[in-house]
Amino acid sequence: MFRSVYLKTLRDYRVPILGWGLGMGALMLTIFTAFPSVVATPEARASVVALGPSFAWIAEPIKLDTPGGYATWKYGLTLLVVVLWPILAHTGMLRGEEDRGSMNVLLSLPRGRVRVALEKVAAMWTALVLMAVIIGLMAYTGAAKVNAGLSLPDAVLFGVNLAVIGAFFGSLGLVVSQFTQERRPATGITSGLLLVFIVIDMVHRVIPNTEWLSRLSPVYYFNLSKPLVPGYGPNPGAMAFLVAMAAVMVAGGVWLFSRRDIGGVVPLPAKLHLPRRASQSERSALQGGWSLRSVYSRSLAVIAAPTFWWTLAIAGLGGWMVVIVKQAEVQLNKLLQGSPLMQQILHVGGSGGTSATILSSLFIFLPLLLMAFAVTQASRWAADEEDGRLELVLSTPQPRLSVLMARFAALATATVVIALVTLAVTVVASGAEGVRIDDGNLSAAILSMVPMGLLVAALGYLFAGWLRAAFDTGLLSFLLVIWFFISFVGPGLSWPEATQRLSAFYYYGTPLLNGLPVWDTVLVIAVAATALALAAARFVRKDIAV
Amino acid sequence: MTDPIIDVQGLTKSYGGKRGIGGVSFQVAEGEAYGFLGPNGAGKTTTIRVLMALLRADHGTARIAGLDAWNDSVQIKRMVGYLPGELSLDPGLTGQQILEYFGHLRGGVDQAYVAQLVKRFDLDPTRKFRHYSSGNKRKVGLVQAFMHRPRLVVLDEPTSGLDPLNQQEFGRLVAEVRAEGRTVFLSSHILSEVEQTCTRVAIIRDGKIVREGGLAELKDIKLHEVTIAFAEAAPAAAFNAVEGVERVEALPDGKTLRLTVHGGVDAVIKAAAQHPVLAFTTHEPSLDDIFLRYYQTERSPEPVPAHV
Repeated sequence: MFRSVYLKTLRDYRVPILGWGLGMGALMLTIFTAFPSVVATPEARASVVALGPSFAWIAEPIKLDTPGGYATWKYGLTLLVVVLWPILAHTGMLRGEEDRGSMNVLLSLPRGRVRVALEKVAAMWTALVLMAVIIGLMAYTGAAKVNAGLSLPDAVLFGVNLAVIGAFFGSLGLVVSQFTQERRPATGITSGLLLVFIVIDMVHRVIPNTEWLSRLSPVYYFNLSKPLVPGYGPNPGAMAFLVAMAAVMVAGGVWLFSRRDIGGVVPLPAKLHLPRRASQSERSALQGGWSLRSVYSRSLAVIAAPTFWWTLAIAGLGGWMVVIVKQAEVQLNKLLQGSPLMQQILHVGGSGGTSATILSSLFIFLPLLLMAFAVTQASRWAADEEDGRLELVLSTPQPRLSVLMARFAALATATVVIALVTLAVTVVASGAEGVRIDDGNLSAAILSMVPMGLLVAALGYLFAGWLRAAFDTGLLSFLLVIWFFISFVGPGLSWPEATQRLSAFYYYGTPLLNGLPVWDTVLVIAVAATALALAAARFVRKDIAV
Repeated sequence: MTDPIIDVQGLTKSYGGKRGIGGVSFQVAEGEAYGFLGPNGAGKTTTIRVLMALLRADHGTARIAGLDAWNDSVQIKRMVGYLPGELSLDPGLTGQQILEYFGHLRGGVDQAYVAQLVKRFDLDPTRKFRHYSSGNKRKVGLVQAFMHRPRLVVLDEPTSGLDPLNQQEFGRLVAEVRAEGRTVFLSSHILSEVEQTCTRVAIIRDGKIVREGGLAELKDIKLHEVTIAFAEAAPAAAFNAVEGVERVEALPDGKTLRLTVHGGVDAVIKAAAQHPVLAFTTHEPSLDDIFLRYYQTERSPEPVPAHV
């Protein structure tokens, strides 16, 4: 496996191929297996079909009374999580190697830059195809169990469609990374573009006569293919279009890479330059005012930019959910009043009204995103130790405990800021849209995200005591996916409560409907505090960067 | 030696059975410049990182100014300046911001002295760390190690990447620090560098101290490789008996000799001057080469007793 750049890169991807392939495949398997219980009675089946148009913003509701149609609709958004890995991998394949300094060595070999880059891209695309096959095979197995009428080619094409959209956004990340000094900003910008394109695609399903706008989004073309829906199948034109666009972007990215300095960036055209920044000495004086005074303030400065973007995403999503709910409220009122089963499908309870009921089912995405933010920042802690960035800080008279707590406090501050801004945005949005939500419950729903974020962060710090950054991030991400999976799919499968209690989301509850689950929140805080205490106990004793 | 500032006794650290250090012992007196020599992977950095409480020793003790390196690390770091072997700092900060940050973490430093150090090393502090060359990164590290006038400066390969002018400046700085009664502990794999800056030296190999003593006591291990190109057939026999010559090798062209010389090369120059010489070059072999010859060719694997 070390005979070429292609094989070495493919070897590097073996864990993600299996991890993402089996993970997404398991999700499909579970969804198909669970479907009969969702439509156990004719009334339930009718209710699901009736519910579809109200939630068309997730995905186009087609043949919802079939396993494939139901899966395509309900999990249309969730499936796109698979795009995150290609983004990470594409931004890392060239820029990441430059960050590590290994690109210098690689390019000292008698191989041209273009060849090196293309071999890496080829390995990435091979990995995506392998992943697609795994997903397709597992989806086929699930569909066969419930006699969903899904053919093997269509099942594999479902996986291929996911791989294609992954290749598109990955290639976009490859291009973006030619303009950024480091890998992280490229990953952040591309992930942000993914969110923007998802929203642009949604627009035409919510607002009439806006399909022209949605056509600008690659997600629109991804959604044109529905291989799981019987009789609908893939859209070869749309898939070919996405592949062609990805190929063009790869060509562009590789061309830019072949012409720029290693470690440098492609200069943006003058018109795209940001306004002139203050001179170094001016900035130094400004930053020196606060960010260089302590480990806490420095950590806060480092985390400021990602916090801004994550705040934009989380608060924006919160506000957008409120707007969506208003539009679906009238129709759903009728449905909910006429169908107790529908309430069960939406996992509703309490007495918060229709808006709160719908919002409650959507708000699970907000703590999920905040926890994902915590994963990225906790992994930075592990990476800083691994990269030797703690070495000099720990050579100053700062106790190790203080350094760890200062870093954690900065992360805690960021999560609180995100929650407060999200609360402000949703309050303003609900006021503007006339959505009736209990202020106390809304505050509880948003502010109780903070302990969830801190729980993930504390676990990340704890794992970092033993694991390298990549494994720390992997384990945290895996945990997050498993928790979400248990809470998102578990109720539909009537999993026992003991199983559902394994997920942190269980303890988040439905605060928008039922108020703050005080003891569950206390439990989350206690577990987070314990994890942090253990992380601190480990950190003050461990060898640094070994 | 009265009240050594560094007192290491039987220090052992292994990385899960892999190479580390085993039973390292030495003392450094206050006010001296102490060189820690050894080839790559010998255990220099491990020893230093134990002293800086970045690693916890498996066995043995490491004390700085009478304080335990691990248990009293915060107190110790108030009086120590440190330059790691591999410097990794926030790439988005300028040199000035980095110095300001570490100045704050140390509770404040004399800005005039920082500016003086920056000027001495000819460092441009307005550039971002990521844009510095390896030599300039080293300068940032050196300035931050010295800027709070520490009682003890611990430096891991301090001149790695520095140009000759800045190496000289570094040598002068070490001399000044010593003159003020402060202590310098530096590791290196370059014998001549240690010779120029240190008063005492320990040599570590495979995680064990194999020699320790004053510079004069270590002269016997110094080797030069001398290549002499003659205008006519090389007179190899004429060099066999020259003082310090350990080995004479005639190169295939028949007119060039390669000599391995112990100690000074004065006698070799005088002997060569008896013949028509076209070129005379000498270079100091790496420490690894010296070790290889000293411990393998000479077949004297027994460590020489330390001279303290």
